[in-house]
Amino acid sequence: MKKVISLLLASAMIVGLTACGGSNSGATSSAPADGQTAAQTTEAADGAVQITIWQPSDKESVENWWVDRLAEWNAEHPDIQVNREAIDRSDSYAYDNKVATAVTSNDLPDILFVDGPQVSYYAANEIIVPISDYFPDLDDFVPSTVAQCTYNDQLYAIAATESSVAFYYNKDMLKECGVDTDDLDSRTIDNPITWSEMTAIAEKCTTADHVGTHIVMDHGEGIPYALEPMYISEGKDYISADGTTAEGYVNSDEAVKTTAFLANFIAKGYANVDPITDEFLNKACATMIGGSWEVATLTANADFDWGVTYYPVADDTKKAVSPCGDWSAAITRDCEHVEEAGQFLQWLMNTENVASYAAAIAKPATRTSAYEDPAMAEYKNFPLSLLVEQLQNTAVPRPRTPSYATFSTDYAEAMTNIFAEAASEGTVDEAYIKELLDGVSEKFTEDYTTYYAE
Amino acid sequence: MAKTNKLSARKKDERAAAYIFTIPAIALLVAFLVVPMVYTVYYSVFKYQVMRPNDITFIGLANYQKLFKDPEFWKALRNTFYFTIIVVPVQCVLALALALLVSKRFRGVSIFRTMYFSPQLTSMVVISVLWTVLYNSNPNTGLINSILVSFGLQPINFLTNAKTAMNAIIFMSAWQGAGYQMMIFLAGLQGIPTEQYEASAVDGANKWQQFWNITIPNLKGTIKYVIMITMIQAMKLFTQPYVMTQGGPKNATKTMVYYIYTQGFQKGNFGYACSVAAVFFVIVVAMSLILQKITNAD
Repeated sequence: MKKVISLLLASAMIVGLTACGGSNSGATSSAPADGQTAAQTTEAADGAVQITIWQPSDKESVENWWVDRLAEWNAEHPDIQVNREAIDRSDSYAYDNKVATAVTSNDLPDILFVDGPQVSYYAANEIIVPISDYFPDLDDFVPSTVAQCTYNDQLYAIAATESSVAFYYNKDMLKECGVDTDDLDSRTIDNPITWSEMTAIAEKCTTADHVGTHIVMDHGEGIPYALEPMYISEGKDYISADGTTAEGYVNSDEAVKTTAFLANFIAKGYANVDPITDEFLNKACATMIGGSWEVATLTANADFDWGVTYYPVADDTKKAVSPCGDWSAAITRDCEHVEEAGQFLQWLMNTENVASYAAAIAKPATRTSAYEDPAMAEYKNFPLSLLVEQLQNTAVPRPRTPSYATFSTDYAEAMTNIFAEAASEGTVDEAYIKELLDGVSEKFTEDYTTYYAE
Repeated sequence: MAKTNKLSARKKDERAAAYIFTIPAIALLVAFLVVPMVYTVYYSVFKYQVMRPNDITFIGLANYQKLFKDPEFWKALRNTFYFTIIVVPVQCVLALALALLVSKRFRGVSIFRTMYFSPQLTSMVVISVLWTVLYNSNPNTGLINSILVSFGLQPINFLTNAKTAMNAIIFMSAWQGAGYQMMIFLAGLQGIPTEQYEASAVDGANKWQQFWNITIPNLKGTIKYVIMITMIQAMKLFTQPYVMTQGGPKNATKTMVYYIYTQGFQKGNFGYACSVAAVFFVIVVAMSLILQKITNAD
């Protein structure tokens, strides 16, 4: 009897285990069988083409926007049915990790949302395919978006929204510290504040209760994103325009000077090396270099008078440059219905959709014509108009190079170490900055020559 | 003779049942441990960019030659050893002390047991975020520095100074992990016969002598187990540096697992990451064997 029971239990466990495997297969029914690509399984039994989208999940207003728009598309196009999978980013790399896994298993969706600077990385590795044919009206898009999404003269992705970064200030704190806020309010894109003016404000506004400013300290992509214009304004970008070398760029004299300028805020105690979340909103700093999304946050939550002005420029050159870039949609190499996916992208990126999406996500639109849509009315007024003005006149995309992932990781790490050194020593060591930036350049060169150089 | 045959048949049945029962566990081990390990070693001899799975080139031992010359690899290895060497004794002693405290029967003891164990029930990510705020260098926003300043002391850059960052993570990790080991020690303590304490008391032994001559020898097996699992856990340190310091400052908290992650997933150097993982696997196995030998020799 015991023998029978033992065998029955063992069999049950094995069946259970097999069933687990079986149910997994069922949960990913669109996953390919051996030798198939994801798209090979996307033709529904009724003949309708199924298009799948992967995108990082977003706030409720954006999720609702997708539900409404996809319902509209699917009702009008019974032969091309689109579904979207919102993927939790968890942290800045979780989504990228999922994509990397799908690349290995040939399990990519038909349409993939890619962060701006990653477009070149994915394009160079042939993960995404050119989509130029579907967008003959690129003149309507801001040049920075087109540039960011173009690799080897081919458009590989398209974005509905953009971003920018500007200089925010707490007027109440600045007035208490004797800073002329009317002067800041009156600045124009041709007359932005300079680095020395920014330093002077930060120094004046550093008190026992708060620091003078906040420079981006997220230890990740935020650092290369938000700080790159400082380098360009001083005279040298991180990487050469053709994306092939960092030597003489990220470790140039201009780059060392720019990095020293930033580290000085930490060394002098004008900025925190490990700021709390929402430091500006929580009144722990008087000014900040902050993203365009901060306008919505501050409008909804700030209990103080605040202002925003243009991204600061280098004293020597006074060259105005501002950050940009956002997530963009691309068609993957595993998509077997490129034509249908292209049709959907055309519709997704029409003026009306771009305008309503930009309003839902509270970011500037990429299409110039979208700003005429009633949904974008507030972008005609300050402070959002300032961000649009920067986008249309001074925005420069991040480097377009297939080795961007390596560069971004190493540069952010080097900057974190430089800032930590400045905080510990209370001084800025330019030799140390040069040493670390040389290391960033070397690692970039190694990655580029290993995988991409011909 | 018939009885012997019957017993033998029964033994055979039991053996068969034992093999059948182990099949699910073996299947899982093979699928999620053996196969990935074999693949790790396999890919470690290839140039493999994670975004180019169809463009893999055999490069022999080049990845291994590179890693032995890579200062970041050695730094990560040193950091991992440093963390392990400090955290294992600290955490084990703390856990034993807590277990001794809560092994006594007194009113409210279960509340203390729950309190000491509660950090284990919280996600390490949540705890890391919490301690990042506690350790914040600004006295206006960091609780610990605010207390230091209120006593007239200088604030400390816990997580942004290369000299203090790893120690700050060690302290937090020992606090978080001790509760689990405490429960294991507690189970061990409760297995010690009370007669031994009573007999030693009659012979005039004081508490200290009882601890060294009864408690410790009886806990020998438990101590070996706790040291082994704490060491293996410590070698796998990842979440705390990932959330709190991102391996910085100056690579002071970059550990082996964190280094493997950045190489493999952030930069896409999958072949190289596999070679680091393979070497690290050998190191962990070697350390476990050495530790086992040392504890068995005692």
